[in-house]
Order: sequence, then structure tokens, then C-alpha cells
Amino acid sequence: MRYSLEQLRSANARYGMFHAMADTVEGDFQFSAKDNLTSKGMETCAGSRILEGYVPAFDATAISKIKAAGGTLVGKTNMDEFGFGTFSANSGFEIPRNPYDTDRACGGSSGGSACAAAVFEGHVSLGVSTGGSICCPASFCGVYGIAPTYGRVSRYGLIDYGNSLDKIGPISADAKDLRKFTYMIAGKDPKDPTSCVQPDGFGEDRPVRRVAVPKEGVEGLSQDVADAFEKALSKLDSLGIETETVDMPTLKYAMPAYYVLATSEASTNLARYVGMRYGRQDGDLSLKFDDYFSDVRSRCFGDEAKRRILLGTYTRMAGFRDRYYAKALQVRQAIIADYKRVFSDFDAVLAPTMPFVAPKFEDISKMSALDSYKADYLTVPANIAGTPHMSVPCGYDPDGMPIGMQFVTDHWNENLLFSTAELWQENFTARRPEVVM
Amino acid sequence: MDRATVERVARAAHIKLTEEELERYSGDLNDILEYFSLLDEAPGSDVIGVNPIMVADVLRDDEPSMDIDPDELLSGMNTYERYVRGPRLS
Amino acid sequence: MKIGLEIHVQLPTKSKMFCSCPTTDAPAPNTHVCPTCLGMPGSRPVLNRKVLEYGIMLAKLLGCRVADTTWFSRKTYFYPDMSKSVQITQYDNPVGEGGSYKMASGKVIRITRIHVEEDPGKTKRVGDLSSLVDYNRSGIPLAEIVTEPDLSTPAEAREFLKQLIADIRHVIDLPSDGERSIRCDCNISVGKERCEVKNVTGLKNVERALTYEVLRQTKILKSGGKIERETRRFDEEKGVTISVRKKEFEADYGYIDEPDLGIYDIRELAASIRIKESPQNRASRIASQYGIEPKMAKQLVSTSMGLADLFEEVAGKYDPQTAIKWVGGPITANWKAMEENGRSPEAVVGIIDRFTSGEITDSECTMEIRSAMTGESMESIQTASGGLEDLINAFLDENPEVVNDYRKNDKAINRVIGTVMKSSGGRYSSAEVVETAKRLVESRLRSQT
Repeated sequence: MRYSLEQLRSANARYGMFHAMADTVEGDFQFSAKDNLTSKGMETCAGSRILEGYVPAFDATAISKIKAAGGTLVGKTNMDEFGFGTFSANSGFEIPRNPYDTDRACGGSSGGSACAAAVFEGHVSLGVSTGGSICCPASFCGVYGIAPTYGRVSRYGLIDYGNSLDKIGPISADAKDLRKFTYMIAGKDPKDPTSCVQPDGFGEDRPVRRVAVPKEGVEGLSQDVADAFEKALSKLDSLGIETETVDMPTLKYAMPAYYVLATSEASTNLARYVGMRYGRQDGDLSLKFDDYFSDVRSRCFGDEAKRRILLGTYTRMAGFRDRYYAKALQVRQAIIADYKRVFSDFDAVLAPTMPFVAPKFEDISKMSALDSYKADYLTVPANIAGTPHMSVPCGYDPDGMPIGMQFVTDHWNENLLFSTAELWQENFTARRPEVVM
Repeated sequence: MDRATVERVARAAHIKLTEEELERYSGDLNDILEYFSLLDEAPGSDVIGVNPIMVADVLRDDEPSMDIDPDELLSGMNTYERYVRGPRLS
Repeated sequence: MKIGLEIHVQLPTKSKMFCSCPTTDAPAPNTHVCPTCLGMPGSRPVLNRKVLEYGIMLAKLLGCRVADTTWFSRKTYFYPDMSKSVQITQYDNPVGEGGSYKMASGKVIRITRIHVEEDPGKTKRVGDLSSLVDYNRSGIPLAEIVTEPDLSTPAEAREFLKQLIADIRHVIDLPSDGERSIRCDCNISVGKERCEVKNVTGLKNVERALTYEVLRQTKILKSGGKIERETRRFDEEKGVTISVRKKEFEADYGYIDEPDLGIYDIRELAASIRIKESPQNRASRIASQYGIEPKMAKQLVSTSMGLADLFEEVAGKYDPQTAIKWVGGPITANWKAMEENGRSPEAVVGIIDRFTSGEITDSECTMEIRSAMTGESMESIQTASGGLEDLINAFLDENPEVVNDYRKNDKAINRVIGTVMKSSGGRYSSAEVVETAKRLVESRLRSQT
């Protein structure tokens, strides 16, 4: 459905999904993209005040491919600063509100994207996942979202968080869009070397048959999530999809390894923001460069950005590098080997996407940094392994808040996920939020 | 991570911390690093890899070309006679 | 005293290392720039194949082990000219490691490693208030060659650099201003602790900076002081080094692997790359392969690689003796004049051919070679050389002992040369006199035996 500018603005006033918005909304169909994807002529800030005023001279490859297919970019979606968060509450700008209950978060870090996908009918929004930032908000907002294999979609134009982890993928209320838009944006791009090693196809095209549920993936769940997941497993069984509990002993190391790699890489990516060349350039140039840089960075980075910069700087410092950064690289390989072992016997690995439903903002503010890091324990393993993973809505709690489950397949096997999502959609009754605009 | 280390890290990262931040981040980072000590017991691997998939031998030919007009790039920058303005050097 | 160098050489690619911006001289500041070399958010590096090739060539020239697999790292440091505050360089597994370089003096300098990396932009001071940055240089490929501290004096360091650069230029077609664009970080210790003088430009300045450091460190040590480990810079105008920062304030670069590029398996590429022989290596090979004096081999090579080519051609076609006689003799003597007159040596092999088949005599061959190379007419050469030969013969007739002395020690020829140069009043070039004197003395020697 095509929305008018007034409708988009009115929805944005209520839900806060967009940062920058388009002036005109003509074209075949409308889409939006997370604000860490560069958009030519439209301000791009990645949720950070330090990038205020940055108007890129080029479109991210994923955006230019959708534009080429007739899409109109209507807005850039709000997110945690540089992707640093689980609830989009670490945004330097507007915090998107959950369409099912505006006192609750949309999840993160692609919160604005999942929000837009849930609010606007027939709307696809591009998200970016580093540690779960597509599946988490998709789950909280009751929509479908996929993070394709690492390297499937060109990252040209993506404002980096962790370059060895970042993946771009579509979020939509319609399962069929996952296939359509992943096909649209995938492919080798000479501007991103990591996109140039992908195979031509997307693997076998049928729903999954045998699915592994790791023991580690059903621990620590809220009762509502555990109940909904239990029901979903019986439904899968009725659809002829077999599930079996397995051990994946490396999964418990995924969280620390992920946070080490992600923050190590992030702290180098964010080194470029020094108040020169783009974004905020309003410091006092008569300061010595070290002081000038520190001044701008301390003023313009948010709290979580500073925390992750400090953490990532520490984990790659001489003397600590081997214990943290170098070890984490190895642990990633061990986790990948663990997944490959399971995939020799199963089509997919399945678990709930998040251990709880979208929390209220007042509860989020009480969480410690480590608590909120730990909330990602179900989405992080597939992300560190670079394996494709997808969240589908699988139930609702007594308050009507959506619950999602996440399928993970082997590298380059997105078709299994698409077919499974399409089959699931035919057999699952989704509840749309009551949208007010 | 003691305060001195947090100060050293902050200096390397070019982040100025207030007294309150220094206190708070020291606490947070200590909790987080304690959790990271799980890595010590984690299995290693012989596989070399910077990326989760094998990315190898992607090169471009040595052919000059410019797709984006540099003037367009400079238009958003604080410049003086085409130079980018920067802070004092010493 | 121990000196080690980290030498930065700009590689002569047409486009930058990680983007396609041209490397040619830019018409104005920030004209050869793009999102990648400006470090703009969303941009990404893609490696120029030629940079790896040059890296491998230099690794081979320096006798390094070329890595099977190489990759890049991020070195984080904050400075206005570094657009990403991160330099993409090599840390683990550089292109080459563990080589050595033999200087003309015979001394061997060990090479620790060679890696490739990107150059930062250039800063300009505006009074003392702020700076201006031009990123045209940002992303130009560099090779960094790191030596062990095997150099013993500032002069030796300069000589080493001079020879090394000549060799590098020959192997990778470095532009002729390559010498000026060489930048070095110089590590020097007179006592136990070392200092690093960063970013010294040009050979002369390397020697000046090192000489200053020797004096400074010696003075401190003599007065019972301690050298502090630190980074210094060289002030070219004043000729002094100035402390920049002490060791404990050194930046922690926090190296991590560069995840945007992946890895490079360069075994096949390395096997397919043959490097041109360096002048240094070629001279030693020619000397041993053809059994000629190292001094002559060096002279051939340093005069011109073309002359060395000709030598090898003639030695191959006939024998080393013929090559020594003609290429080492009159062809060498006339080479400079040939180049000055913009002529080529292509006719000379035919002339030598006619001599070896007995069609022309020794002196006819000499004169024809000179005529072919310089463009002078045979007549004027005949008159001139007749005159020269007469002068020399007259001297040898008067001083027959010279011929015998020459048999024992070829320095005896200097008497002939000195006298003739003096009595001819500079009418003949020294090369010409040397060549003719040698030929006549040797022909007298042969007729004696």
C-alpha cells in the first residue's frame, strides 16, 4: 500500500520510526531503510549525534538496488547509536515505540525498521544485524525478518559496527517479502570484497524437514515465551517438521566472543569520528588535535557508544589482545564448526528469538549494561557464525505482545528459510497491531 | 579493570571521562570483563579466518577512475580553499 | 653504534591502494579523493592487485621469504591527515620476511620484513592556530622495508639507501624523483637505548639526522647522562632532531585484522612473478658467469644496463674474451658520447662480426665502432686516432720497458696515459686514450710472445 506523506508523518509522530524522511513519496512501492545505510541526498546518522548533518553523496548498494527495482525510499529508520543496543533506546534521536504497546520498546538495533514493517501495510524495511539486530526487533514487533549469510548482501554504504559481523536484510509483515527482497539486494558487488565470494544460488528450495533445538536455546526463557515456543513446536510437528533436542557446547562462549569481536572492530570503525570531514564539525580548531578530537567525541557520542569504544579499545590493546581479540577469533571458528556438525544431520537450528517479549521502557532503564548484553544470547551465536537466520512470529503473550522464533541454516542456504517462512505464514494466524495514525 | 586502566584506555580512545563516568564505566567494564573470562576456557581452532566465511583473493585491477565528484564530497565539509580544516597540530 | 631503518617507498601504481582515485599529480587539493580515501562512513577498501605484485617483487629483490598467505591489519592512531584514524597496513603475515641485502662494499644488511600499507594525507599548518588537510595522498600505496640494526654509520646508512633505491627503481620502474620521495624512520643507538627519528625525507636528510643523533647521544653519554627511549623528528632547516614523545606516551595501535578485505593466498602470484635483476646482483652474476674482473662488471652495469646487455650478447655469441676486448674497450669508451648524440649501439655487433671473421683489422674495428656510435666520420676518426696512435707508439718506442712492466702490473699503463694526456693537451678524451693505450700495449705484448 502506498501511504501519503501526511500519513507517514502522522504515523511517525506516534511511533517514532523515522529519523530523516523523504519530501516526496512517488514510485511503484515504498520502502524504508535503517539509518546506518547511506542514502544519497538524505541525512544519514546511524543514530549518532556525531554524524548530524551528514548527507551522503552515494547510496548504499542495497538501497540503490531497491530503487532500481522501482522502490521509493520514504524514510531512514531510528536505531540504537551505531547499532549498539537491544531496544533502540540508545538512539541519539527518537526512540521508536512498539506498535502493539507504545510504552514498550521495538527491540534493536533495527527497531525503527521493524516498527515501520509492522505499522505500514505492504512495507519492507531494510535492517542490519550485527548480533541479532534484525531478528530481535522483528520478534518484538511481530513481523518476519532475515539476516542473510554474512557476505550475501554488499555492505557498501553500510556505516560499520563490526565489519566481520554486519549483515543487511529485509524486515516485513509478509513472509514472501523476505525472499523477494533478499534476491533483490543480494549479489557480488565489486565495491565490497566480502560480497564477492558468494555462490550463485540460495541453496535447496523447500521447507526444513529436520530441525535441531539446542538445549542451550531453551534455557532462561520467560514462561510466556517458553509456552508459545512449546506450541510452535507442536505446530511444526503437525506440518511434518521434525524437531529434536541437541547439545551445542560452544554456544555459551558465543556471547563473550561476539562482544569482544564486535567492540574491537567497532572501536576502530568509530575512530574516524573526530569532528572533521563530516557530521558535527563544530569544535574549537585552535585546540591541539588530541584535545579537539577528544572534545568532539566526548560531547557527541552517547553513553553506550563510549562504553563499547572503551571495551573494544581495551580488548585489542597490546598485552590484552591475545587473551581477548585473538582468542575470540578462534572461538568463532569453533562455534562455526559446532554449527556445521549439527547441519550435517539437520536442516536448521531453532530456538525462540528473544527470551522475553518487548519490555517496557521503564524496565529497560533499570537494566545494567551486562544485563542488556546478555539478552542477546539467543541471537548472537548465528551472528558470530555468519549463518543466515530468520525470526518468524510464533505466538502472543497474555498482553498480546508478539513472540518470535528463530531458524538458523547453514551458510548460503537462505532458500530453506524462505520456504519455511512461507509455509509457516499459511499456517499461523498473525495478529496485526491496532495502528493509529 | 582499575581506574588507572580505564583512564589509559580512554586516553587511547580519545574519550574524556567525567569523574562520574569514570566511576560508572570502571564498574560496568569490570562486570563485563569478568563475564568475558569465560573465553579462557573456550575451545580454540586452527582455522585462520578474519571473517565467518572464507574471503580470499578479491582484488581489483590498477585502473584509475572517479565515480563521485570530489566537489560534492567537499560540499559538506568545513574547508578553506579546498583544504579540509583541521585542529592545531602541536 | 647501531642503526636500523624503516624505509617507505611509494609504489608507482596508476590508482590508489584501496580505491580507484588516480595517483598522478592533482591539479588542486582534495581533487583526487573519494569516499574511501576520505574515510567517509559507508565506504570500503578494495585492494589494488598491482600493490601485491610490487610487494612481492620487492620481497624477492630483498631475498625475503614470500608469505603463502598474507592479510591486512588496522593500525589505529589519531591525526588529522589519517582520514579513518586507522591505517590499513600489515601486522601478522606481511608480504615478505627474513631477507638480506648485499651492499657493494660486500656488507650484508639483514631485512626484517617488508609490508605494504596506505599513505596518509598531508597536513599544512595555518599559523599556530589550526591546520589544513589535503587528502590527495591519502591511500597512495607504500612499501615499508624494515632492516635489522646492521648499519654502523650515518654515511653507511646513506650509501645503503642509495644502492637500495637504485635497485628498487630498476625492479619496479620507480619514477626518477623516487629518491626524494623516500621517507625513513631511523632507529639509532649509540649506547644501549635507542631513539627513533620519524619521517625523514631524502637520503641527505637521513644522513644529517643520524649524524646529529650520533653527536647528541654521544654528548649525553660522555657527560654521564642516560639516553631516553623516545620518538624524535628532524627539523630540516635547523638540521637538528627534536623530541616528539617519550616511550611511555607511545600510542597503543591496538592492531586488529582488517575484516573488509579477507586474506590473500599469494603462492601462485609469487611463483608467476619474475623480477628484473637488480644492478647489484647483475654485476656479481656477470663477473662470475663470464670470469671477468668484478670491477669491470660493475662498470658495465653502472654505465648502463644496455651496455651490460650488449656485453652478454657478445659474450654469448663469441666468447667472454671478445666481449671484454670490444664491449669492455671501445664500446664502453664511446657509450657516453653515443647517449649524448642520441644514437644506438645496434650496428656494433655487425662490426665485431666482421672483425672476428677477419674482414677488418683491430684498429679498423675500433674506428668503425666509434664512428657507428658517435656519428663521427671515419676520416676524422682516422686522422685523430692516427695522431693518437702515433703519440702512443712514439712513447712506447722510447720507453719499451713499459710493456714488460704492464705484464706484471696493469697499473704501468698509467704512465703512458698520463704522458699522452699531457702532451696532447686534452685533444683526446681520457676514455679514448685509455682504450687506445691498452690496445697498443697489449698488441705489443702479443707480438713479443
